Amino acid sequence: MYFLTGWPRRLLCPLRSEEEPFHIQPSSQRLYFAVLSETQLSVWFSRPSVLIVSYIESAKAAAQFGSYQKAEWKPDDSMIAVATAKGYILLFDVLGGGDAKSLYEPVYPKGSPRVKVTPGYKEEQCAPALSLEMKKPVDLEAPITSLRSLQEDLLVCTADGYLHVLHWDGLGSNGRKSICLTTIPFSLDLQTARGGPSLDLEEVHIRCMEYCVTLDGFAVVLSDGRLGFITPLSNTITADQLQGVWAADVNDGTCVAVNNKYRLMAFGCAGGSVLVYMIDTTTGSMQLSHKLELTPKHYPDIYNKTGPVKLICWSPDYSVVMVTWECGGLSLWSVFGAHLICTLGEDFAYRSDGTKKDPVKISSMSWGAEGYHLWVLPIKQERKRQEVEQQEEGVEEKKEVEENEVEKEEEEKGEEMATPPQPSLQAGILQFQFIKSALTVNPCTSNQEQVLLHGEDRLYLTCGDPSQIHSTYLESNWPIRFAAIDTAGQCMAVAGRRGFAHYSLFTRKWKLFGNITQEQNMTVTGGLAWWKDFVVVACYNYIDQQEQLRLYQRSSNLDNAFASVTKLQSDTLLLNVFRDLVILFRADCSICLYSIERRNDSPYPTASVELLQEVSMSRYIPHPALVVSVTLTSVRTETGITLKAPQQAGMAESIMLNLAGQLIMLQRDRSGPQVRGEETPANNKKLLPFCPPVVLAQCVENVWTTCRSNKKKRHLLEALWLSCGEAGMKVWLPLFPRDHRKPHSFLSRRIMLPFHINIYPLAVLFEDALVLGATNETVLYDGMQGSSEPLEALFPFCTVERTSQIYLHHILRQLLVRNLGEQALMLAQSCASLPYFPHVMELMVHVVLEEEATSREPIPDPLLPTVAKFITEFPLFLQTIVHCARKTEYALWNYLFAAVGNPKDLFEECLMAQDLDTAASYLIILQSMEAPAVSRQHATLLFNTALEQGKWDLCRHMIRFLKAIGSGEMESPPPTPTTQEPSSTGGFEFFRNRSISLSQTADVIALGKFNLQKTFTMPSGPCVKGREAECAENMYIDMMLWRHARHLLEQVRLRDLGCFSAQLGFELIGWLCRERNRVARVDDFVSALKKLHKDFLWPFPVIPGGSISSPLKNGRCRTVLSTRLLKSQSADSLLNSDMDTAPPQAASAGHAWLDGLGQRSKDMDTASSAHSSHSPQTHDAFLSLLTNKVEEYSVGSATDLTETSSVVDGDWTMVDENSSTLSLSPAELEHISMELANKGPHKSQVQLRYLLHVFMEAGCLEWCVVIGLILRDANVIKQVIGFLDSPEVPQDTVQSVRSGLLAVDTLGYKPFLKLIQPQLQDLMDAAAEQVAPEAFQPTSQSSKLGGPEGPGGAAVPRPEDSRGATAPLGLAPPSLEPAGSFPRPPSEDGPPEQTEEQGDEEGAYDCTLS
Amino acid sequence: MIEVVASMARGPVFLAGELMECLITFTNPMSHLSTSASCEMLAWASAQIHCQFHASENRVALPAQGNKQDVQAESNTVLIPNRGERGQCVLDTPPKILFCDLRLDPGESKTYSYSEIVPVDGPPSFRGQAVKYVYKLTIGCQRVNSPIKLLRVPFRVLVLQGMPEPPFPPDEEVSPSNPFLEEEEASRRDARPLERALDMLMVTTSRRCAHMFNITNVRGKVAKFCIFKTVYRLGEDIVGTFNFSEGDIPCLQYSVSLQNEEEIQQHYQRRPGQVISVTGHGRHMESCLHTASSHFSLPIPLNVTPGFSTDIVMLRWRLHFEFVTAREPMEPPTVLQNQSEVTVWAGAEHVDVDTFSWDLPIKVLPTNPALASYMSHFSGTNSIHI
Repeated sequence: MYFLTGWPRRLLCPLRSEEEPFHIQPSSQRLYFAVLSETQLSVWFSRPSVLIVSYIESAKAAAQFGSYQKAEWKPDDSMIAVATAKGYILLFDVLGGGDAKSLYEPVYPKGSPRVKVTPGYKEEQCAPALSLEMKKPVDLEAPITSLRSLQEDLLVCTADGYLHVLHWDGLGSNGRKSICLTTIPFSLDLQTARGGPSLDLEEVHIRCMEYCVTLDGFAVVLSDGRLGFITPLSNTITADQLQGVWAADVNDGTCVAVNNKYRLMAFGCAGGSVLVYMIDTTTGSMQLSHKLELTPKHYPDIYNKTGPVKLICWSPDYSVVMVTWECGGLSLWSVFGAHLICTLGEDFAYRSDGTKKDPVKISSMSWGAEGYHLWVLPIKQERKRQEVEQQEEGVEEKKEVEENEVEKEEEEKGEEMATPPQPSLQAGILQFQFIKSALTVNPCTSNQEQVLLHGEDRLYLTCGDPSQIHSTYLESNWPIRFAAIDTAGQCMAVAGRRGFAHYSLFTRKWKLFGNITQEQNMTVTGGLAWWKDFVVVACYNYIDQQEQLRLYQRSSNLDNAFASVTKLQSDTLLLNVFRDLVILFRADCSICLYSIERRNDSPYPTASVELLQEVSMSRYIPHPALVVSVTLTSVRTETGITLKAPQQAGMAESIMLNLAGQLIMLQRDRSGPQVRGEETPANNKKLLPFCPPVVLAQCVENVWTTCRSNKKKRHLLEALWLSCGEAGMKVWLPLFPRDHRKPHSFLSRRIMLPFHINIYPLAVLFEDALVLGATNETVLYDGMQGSSEPLEALFPFCTVERTSQIYLHHILRQLLVRNLGEQALMLAQSCASLPYFPHVMELMVHVVLEEEATSREPIPDPLLPTVAKFITEFPLFLQTIVHCARKTEYALWNYLFAAVGNPKDLFEECLMAQDLDTAASYLIILQSMEAPAVSRQHATLLFNTALEQGKWDLCRHMIRFLKAIGSGEMESPPPTPTTQEPSSTGGFEFFRNRSISLSQTADVIALGKFNLQKTFTMPSGPCVKGREAECAENMYIDMMLWRHARHLLEQVRLRDLGCFSAQLGFELIGWLCRERNRVARVDDFVSALKKLHKDFLWPFPVIPGGSISSPLKNGRCRTVLSTRLLKSQSADSLLNSDMDTAPPQAASAGHAWLDGLGQRSKDMDTASSAHSSHSPQTHDAFLSLLTNKVEEYSVGSATDLTETSSVVDGDWTMVDENSSTLSLSPAELEHISMELANKGPHKSQVQLRYLLHVFMEAGCLEWCVVIGLILRDANVIKQVIGFLDSPEVPQDTVQSVRSGLLAVDTLGYKPFLKLIQPQLQDLMDAAAEQVAPEAFQPTSQSSKLGGPEGPGGAAVPRPEDSRGATAPLGLAPPSLEPAGSFPRPPSEDGPPEQTEEQGDEEGAYDCTLS
Repeated sequence: MIEVVASMARGPVFLAGELMECLITFTNPMSHLSTSASCEMLAWASAQIHCQFHASENRVALPAQGNKQDVQAESNTVLIPNRGERGQCVLDTPPKILFCDLRLDPGESKTYSYSEIVPVDGPPSFRGQAVKYVYKLTIGCQRVNSPIKLLRVPFRVLVLQGMPEPPFPPDEEVSPSNPFLEEEEASRRDARPLERALDMLMVTTSRRCAHMFNITNVRGKVAKFCIFKTVYRLGEDIVGTFNFSEGDIPCLQYSVSLQNEEEIQQHYQRRPGQVISVTGHGRHMESCLHTASSHFSLPIPLNVTPGFSTDIVMLRWRLHFEFVTAREPMEPPTVLQNQSEVTVWAGAEHVDVDTFSWDLPIKVLPTNPALASYMSHFSGTNSIHI
């Protein structure tokens, strides 16, 4: 396929002339271009694009012949015929052209560093020298309308209704025949042809004519606009042997161009469309194949204003056609009408500021060699404009009319004198540049699996940067004709005029023939392909003068010495590879199959080639040039034949032949006696003949099959894919029996399904259910400052985007339409794991819905229910439906849900399936379709589930949603609760990130206040009612949040509670204050502790001698170590190292938080008010106590923490501290150190610290104890015990703490409890005092037994118990002493101030205690 | 036997400062059904990133190296990542322990994720003529009483050098937040400066600003050249236009080459004033004798190294132009119509020419590493058996 690239190049004739060229005609190989102006014939060379020679007619001859009009080359380039206005044919001999002389050869000064090293250098740089000599003119005595070369003859149509056949060589009256148009019988088809001349052809002549070799006839446009096709009935063109057919009902034809490869005739019409006709082979009538028309959808401004079609130009390979209109513009279409480019729209037609450009009007155009260029002669606007300007000037100057005329005449007569340097008088030619798909000329299998595009000098792959073709090769062998890529997409090969070269993407290196003679002595004829690491080429050897099949290995030097060469009988036209077979199509219309085998017996790898089979196709192929592609495939139709042996997947079962767009299949004939496969499979293959051909499809541009097999994706892999131009793509899909147990008894059939895609398909990825393609993209450069270049201003810069597209939904739908639901299901299931499968499903629903719901007519048999039912087979059904609904307008929802089911039910299904996000999407639907109460009820349901599952984003959205419902905005839909809405999430971001202190309490407070205002203050706004509703709604939401928090706390899910509070901005402290004596109690310390250990991945304390039972092994420690290593290095280490340091200052850290909070609560009225309102009494007590401390060291707090973090290795300071004060035994010391090393994950620690602070703040002392225990932070416990004395603390709590502490030592906390022995002892003593009257026994043990213990406590082993109870008693006196006089010498590692503070603090506690 | 496979899922190209992630899988390949299968043990495995520097003796004079321990004792459990590598290790990250005492039952496989920020201050991956910088992820593992085995995964590092520093993130982002907020938030924040840098890179290289040049030689004006920008990303096309119609001197041919210059910093040059190495990465050549205007489009390959400089080497990019111009200024001949005789104009056989060259420095910057990964010749996956 062809794509426009870059900007056009502008050539400039080196001669100044008054005349403007208007006709360009390429020579047969497109090496030369004849350019005509009124009295001038110029010949340009293709590459370099330079003017070679120019012939300027003398005045006398010009007067006699009239101006030049058309030109035509003799097929061997030795002559040019020029038709003139007065009915003359001027014949020019083109002399030279051999290698003898060249033009513009640069002569470098002597001693120049520039040395010609490249042998092809001269060809690149220079053009051959040619000269033109006019021979005797031929007078045809009537204006000439058309001029076509026909091998040895020249066909000329004249306006007097005659068709002249002139012999190129023997011109003059002898070699001349004239046929009058009226003598040719015309009819609608050849069967009904009647003899005798057509009477209605009087006064009519041929306006335009072109000869089609493969149809053997002339496509003609008559002067009355009718279209026809004239066939010579015998080999020579004689008057009585011609027969014509009409195209029915057309009478506005303007021009014609024929396509020899596809046997098509493209007729331009005055209405602007191009009608493409083919000849029906049975009746001989003209049949419309397709039309090329600009659609109003894509070209609304211009589609009906183009004017008549002016020119039609098929590319040299006939795969695309370029069309231009009277109004200008270029449009490119594939052979069967896929629209590729049009310069009448978008960036081509509009500047970046939106103003419209004048389309370039074209007087003549011609494709360059291999279609890389389009040579275009524009109609100069400048000249006309100049004339207009001159006239305007004249008016302005108010000169006399006569004077003006005189002046103009003068100008016209002697322009060179008046204004010699007028650049506009140098004629310009535009060269548009194209890149094309390698498939257009070399349709081998590997080129179909990869997207390979090639331009004149580079290769483009699916991804990555383009690769430039090696300049040495290019310079001597331009233009590149064939390109091939290997299946893996790593190796490429190109072939130009002579030889070939290959490239590896991996090394980014080209490999060229080492011996240039070898390169120049071969030319690739039938294309090239990769087989494994070999390049397979069908070429012509000039030395031996024979056609050869050669294989070159990639890694060896590119040299014939390493090639395996096989002589071929006939010229090769096409080459392809299937597995280990090479398939050749030859000019004698036969197909040859060769087997290739790699041989490693020689020092370098070679391949041996063996002829397997020759199949003559001459019966079916009228002309070898019609064959577009030949492929071997494993596709079978299986009609009528039951395979006895299981079919071997991927065997060469059939030949696919694209004959001028008609896809023909030849299957191996298995009807004859079968040789059993196991005997000689090679022979078997060789012997099996092919059945007669079957036509599978028409208008085929490309075919894709694969030889890979995959049992799971049989539908996709065994399918045959076709691209059919404007008709889109088709797939020939195999149908399989559902019952896999009997695969052989089933006669599998196939079905042809058409579908449309938006890109031009270039590769089919079978397993991925994707089509790769490419489209033209444009970039405007016109607004650039200083770029006054006309080209940049006139044209956008073109690039090619390589894209991909999914198609599965089309096929599934088609299958469903045809009641092939089972097949659709099998196909879909085989693709369900593809990442875009959900998208496929959604698209399918969407397309069907849009079509059926917007249809004006009632649909008798709607597909949507079927599609819906189909999708229910997949787990993504609920999701698909709701996504589709949300992308569809509201008006269609009723239709959709009528087909797929009630959205309420679907919502509930989502909840059951735990797919909350999808449920949320259904909520929107419900909200629009149902009463507010219903959607509110569902929203609540969803909210609760989301809370339970910790889907915080969803929770936040649900809160908003519920608020929106409540705020009386029911008429307008509330904001959608999805993540796609940026503004709403932004609000939450704000709350979540606006943390100021170490904790997030401030946020919480802020939110709390917000809630408060909403709930309790009477708003004085215009819409009081709405506000009230909102308040109620907020209350409702708060209730739900509280309930959930209670629920979490009851179940000891502290971690979840923390997340819940953090994520939803739930004001935890205030709530806990209220719940302090209710749900925020700890009933069972042991199970609570166990749960926390589990939830926070916190190791249990190590019991001496029992360290093996510790759940954490060394490995874990190490990973922790390594993550910390990473964290401290990462950019945001600031935050993390803060947290890191928390452990050493366990107590002080906790206080610092409190301090921070206290301070803040002082600063912010809002905060304190929030607090007081929630829990007035208890909070006061705390505040007073802590405020004192704040005043004492308000300088410290958070900042100190950060500073110490880098200095102190926290864990060990702590140990030192304790050991020095408590004088533990070395064994104990080691044990403690082990324990401390056995801390849980850092993150958990930070979270626990945070929770501790929250509970502390809220006065939930039992929880403080639990967390203090798990953190093994003695200070916390001490502090809590200290608080227990406060009259605010209910006795229940004291009791609970006491018994809790006693119970937990069974979990291995005994050593830790030792650290707080004195405090514990005090507590127990106090308890004894209090409990004594109630208890029967005064020992602590008995109190513990009588305490409110859960089952965990009861199961505690006794010896441990007794130890825990008695040991503290023994240790108590010594430990109490140092605890009281806590201040230590500042010899510690920590910064002195900090220690001092800590000391003070501890002292303060002691005071409170005693 | 244990099979160790390291795989960088994101592809083998990274921007300096980016988080590199590599999954390292240890597999005991024996089938658990096999009778001879036994469980396999590894003492430890650890991984680290390092950058090897290698310089050509002929061009670079390096100060005498401290004799680094390059031999790894059998009994040693210290990972020396660059053991057995050529050149110096100029940069390494702290080693990270993946595990200790791994036990794999037959058929069992365990995957560890290694992640590390690719150092920001290192050089980019570069294979020049005088100097090479090569990045590798080295995974060392050791069985008890066996020598350490190294698995290397080469990867490519792009450095955004000379990009303006992204502004310091606003206060809200440095302040600590609730520890219960998801950690992903933090990682997202990590990625932000990088994203911003990439955005800035895109903005810088997307800005078009036409630069016009009048190309003249001693004899007169040859052409007008326009280039639309001078800063490019890898993989972009360099597009420039020529207008020859206004020139006085006919130009027969021009060529544009994309080249880089690798210059050794003065202190390290082997010889004073030694030649700068120039490497070409694509060339557009065009005959332009009768051409009025034309353009070229040169792709910058994705595998080249963007411009950078270290204390040893400096890499610059330029477009190198060569023009073959006629010596004689040519006034276009004027053809007069309606002359009494036929005129046949033919081109000259020989043209006396001069050649001129010109260099235009340009900037080549990295691109999105994901894009560069497509065309990398590293796979990002490597494996050994130990």
